[in-house]
Amino acid sequence: MFKNYLKIAFRSLKKQAFFTFLNTFGLAIGMAGGLLVALYVYDELTFDTMFTDAHRIYRVDADIKFGGAEMHSAENAPPMAAVLKNDLPEVENAVRIRDVGSVLIKKSESTDNTKEEKVAYADASFFDMFGLTLLEGDAKSALEEPNTMVLSKATALKYFGTRKVVGETLVLNNKEVYTVTGIVEDLPKKSFLRTHKIFLAMAGNEASKEEIWGSLNYFTFIKLIPTAHESTIKKHLEGILDKYMLPWAQKYFPGMNKESFLASGNYVRYYTIPLTDIHLYSNRDTELSANSTIQNVYILSFIGLFLILLATVNFMNLSTAYSLKRAKEVGIRKTLGSNRGHLMVQFLTESGLVTFIAMLFAVAFAFFALPFFNSMAGREIIFPFTKPFFWIILVAMSLILGLLTGSYPAFFMSQFLPIKSLKGGSNTSEGGSKVRNTLVVFQFAISVFLIVSTLVVFKQLKFIQAKDVGFSKDQVLVVKDAYAAGDKLQTFKQKVANLGSVKSVAVSSFMPTPSARGNSSFFEQGSMAQEHAIQMQKWKVDEDYLQTLNMKLIAGRNFNAARISDSTAVIVNEATLANLGVSAEQALGKRITEDVDSENPVFYDVIGVVKNFHFKSLRENIEPLGLFMQPSRGSVAVKLEASNFTATIGAIQNIWQKVAPGQPFNYAFLDDEFNRTYEAEQRLGKIFITFTILSILIACLGLFGLAAFNAEKRTKEIGVRKVLGATVSQISYRLTVDFLKLVMVGILFSLPVAWFAMNRWLLDFSYRINIGWQVFVLAAAIALAVAIITVSYQSIKAALSNPVKSLKTE
Amino acid sequence: MLLELKNIFKWVNSGGQRVFLLKDINLKVDEGDFISIMGPSGSGKSTLLNVMGMLDGFNEGEYNFLEQSVHTLKEKKRATLYKEYIGFVFQSYHLLDELTVQENLEMPLLYKKFKGSERKAMVADMLDRFNIVGKKDLFPAQLSGGQQQLVGVARALIANPKLILADEPTGNLNSNQSEEIMQLFQQLNKEGVTIIQVTHSEKNAQYGKRIIQLLDGRMV
Repeated sequence: MFKNYLKIAFRSLKKQAFFTFLNTFGLAIGMAGGLLVALYVYDELTFDTMFTDAHRIYRVDADIKFGGAEMHSAENAPPMAAVLKNDLPEVENAVRIRDVGSVLIKKSESTDNTKEEKVAYADASFFDMFGLTLLEGDAKSALEEPNTMVLSKATALKYFGTRKVVGETLVLNNKEVYTVTGIVEDLPKKSFLRTHKIFLAMAGNEASKEEIWGSLNYFTFIKLIPTAHESTIKKHLEGILDKYMLPWAQKYFPGMNKESFLASGNYVRYYTIPLTDIHLYSNRDTELSANSTIQNVYILSFIGLFLILLATVNFMNLSTAYSLKRAKEVGIRKTLGSNRGHLMVQFLTESGLVTFIAMLFAVAFAFFALPFFNSMAGREIIFPFTKPFFWIILVAMSLILGLLTGSYPAFFMSQFLPIKSLKGGSNTSEGGSKVRNTLVVFQFAISVFLIVSTLVVFKQLKFIQAKDVGFSKDQVLVVKDAYAAGDKLQTFKQKVANLGSVKSVAVSSFMPTPSARGNSSFFEQGSMAQEHAIQMQKWKVDEDYLQTLNMKLIAGRNFNAARISDSTAVIVNEATLANLGVSAEQALGKRITEDVDSENPVFYDVIGVVKNFHFKSLRENIEPLGLFMQPSRGSVAVKLEASNFTATIGAIQNIWQKVAPGQPFNYAFLDDEFNRTYEAEQRLGKIFITFTILSILIACLGLFGLAAFNAEKRTKEIGVRKVLGATVSQISYRLTVDFLKLVMVGILFSLPVAWFAMNRWLLDFSYRINIGWQVFVLAAAIALAVAIITVSYQSIKAALSNPVKSLKTE
Repeated sequence: MLLELKNIFKWVNSGGQRVFLLKDINLKVDEGDFISIMGPSGSGKSTLLNVMGMLDGFNEGEYNFLEQSVHTLKEKKRATLYKEYIGFVFQSYHLLDELTVQENLEMPLLYKKFKGSERKAMVADMLDRFNIVGKKDLFPAQLSGGQQQLVGVARALIANPKLILADEPTGNLNSNQSEEIMQLFQQLNKEGVTIIQVTHSEKNAQYGKRIIQLLDGRMV
């Protein structure tokens, strides 16, 4: 019986090749999209699960408000790890990681430094706790001694060409000699350590031994014993303030007690976050590596579901439409003894077959699209061909989808009455066409929703790029890691400034692009109480900084290197004025200090107020910031003339190599750095546009099939109309306009939903666009245009057909 | 007695008016009968045949088939009844285009849950009996109309029904082919199969042992 079903399924699919193609292709595209999304979501959800006992590992975070500064830190105080391990029997182990940032590394005998980005201090039991085995060396003792280091395999190969390098030495930052004591397998791509390559023994980090509760610099991970629960830790963490933090703070702020501390709105709160939640739920001031958000997972899951839904709807639509052609078969089978059950099984077999074939295609499509998807989503997902789990899911999915897509057509067709369907049975289509219309409306509603979303994302991106950020980011070359030049930095600056194609050069600690930097508490002279603290960014710049980045002063003057008093001068930004409670003009001459507990505080005179500029993402508000004319070794900003960048860069590199031989020359353009801030949005934009195109494609395949079917069904009507004198354009208009009505209804449904959803998305940005009616008009126009093109081909074809032929066959 | 119709009425409502398709039909069919139903277009011949074949219902009257009162039976029971005892032959053959001759013959057996070996034997037997062994792997479109109808009759017979209902079986055939089919019917009738056919042709009607004339839904 089943064989018979399969046979007839194969033959009837072959007979209606066009319909089968539309159906399979549409379904395959939808499933391929869904498959990619599923792989992505699975990848996201399984971050950091490869570590031994990952479910027992937590990171200890801190929320601290002190003196007006709010910190949401993923890092903690140096003693935290030891305190938790000693105080609580439930804590099996605790380790700290301290990011060092970039480090210059060379082999002892060499003079050529290489810059390594991800270097971190780690406690001795770090490898043990995360279950990382060492390829060389002993995991338990590798990081016990000061000035020992563990390299990743790739790093070892890079420096030594072999991994058998235990006992070899490397020189860090031209002075510290480290001995390699272990080699670790490159860290898993799907982990919070994915970018880390070099681990130094925490024993060599003096600050890690200090009992300081006020600085948060150590990522602290604890592992609980199997029977312990997160809540026991929570309780203990609440007691840290009384037990450790206040006694420590009283050394610096005598007389401060818990009441006075809390009264001024301050707080200290410690939390644990499960290791496996970090990737999707943690968004702290600094993270060990860039995290994703659960929101992205949701958005993509929805898009994936939409795609599969669209494809399913398509399938149901086309199947029911084309099923009318098979009414005769249903009639014959019924008179020959088939009951509804038989027919349902038969049609489900067919849909199952199509789904299965589509699934095979989908796997192929997804396989070839995966590299593109990876680069778009910034992931390194591998196709899990070898995992039985994956294939089980695939087969289960095609079964479920087969049932789902086949159920309506099967239900619909199996209820045909034999006599009617044998006679021609076109009257059975009425109920079906209502469902079909609803489904078309639904499809276009989703497509238009996605179009609107895409347009809004891109409009916001364009807005960001075009927004006046308060400085000029064009033609600015940033030479990074200026510290590598050592004391020759000023020489480098002078030589570069003397180049004809360079307008100006500035050395500073920070550029106005997001980077890791904290706030400092400043106090205005005369109101030195903790609660009056102003949380400010402290940037070290030189007198050329404002000019090089084209920042505008709204009051006061720029630094003057010739004035000795300017070394204790500060230029604040507009945002600081609110904290000072004065206007720009009034701010001049105010004095601020960060030495609150010192006998002889250094006061800085406000000599200027700079127009607000964005130095973080536009998602965030501009915070108070002070520019200080102090020597710094962060980066060198070079404003270029608008000509021949390559030659100028070559010239600058030449100077660098003469001034700092053997040191790496790292540079980037400021506008590229700026755009990198919005990488997440750009990714979202790309993902949206891809999936929007896919969804439109699927909807169009469906519409195309329906139009073809409709034209065929109305062949006789068209023939009669033509004989009676209707023109081609009149007929094609008639055939097209019916579909357009459905598309219009779909558009009307989706616009308010899209408006609501995208407004929610935009709320994330402190600086955002108004969506505006144009977006909706454009989206509607796109949908309509695509629908017209899709349908009109069939309509015109039908209208052009010879009436004599069509009437004869009736 | 195979079946009996008593005072059968069937109507449809059209534009607020009751239009009668069958009016007071009384008919007894014994086993071994060969009945031809005649009448002009729209006189209700096909409707009467469909009612007897249980493919269509009626509004009033009684219908007994092999001592069972069809009008009181549930839909499912009725379906089992006609599947068991009735074979249909259609004017336009209604073979499944996607299946070969052999597969078309096999289909009713599939629905009646015969075993594979049994099905093979029965199909082979039928192919033999109708002399179409050589055509068993052809698709309907590759056959002439007469041959297709031959397959149609073979398919109707394959599950050994007691009654064959034929709705203008020769309507699409030329006179030679018609002749062949009618002789086949006569032969089958001699072998004990009850046949009721609807026909327009006076000549074909003569093959029947009995002729029923319908006019406007009424027997005359």
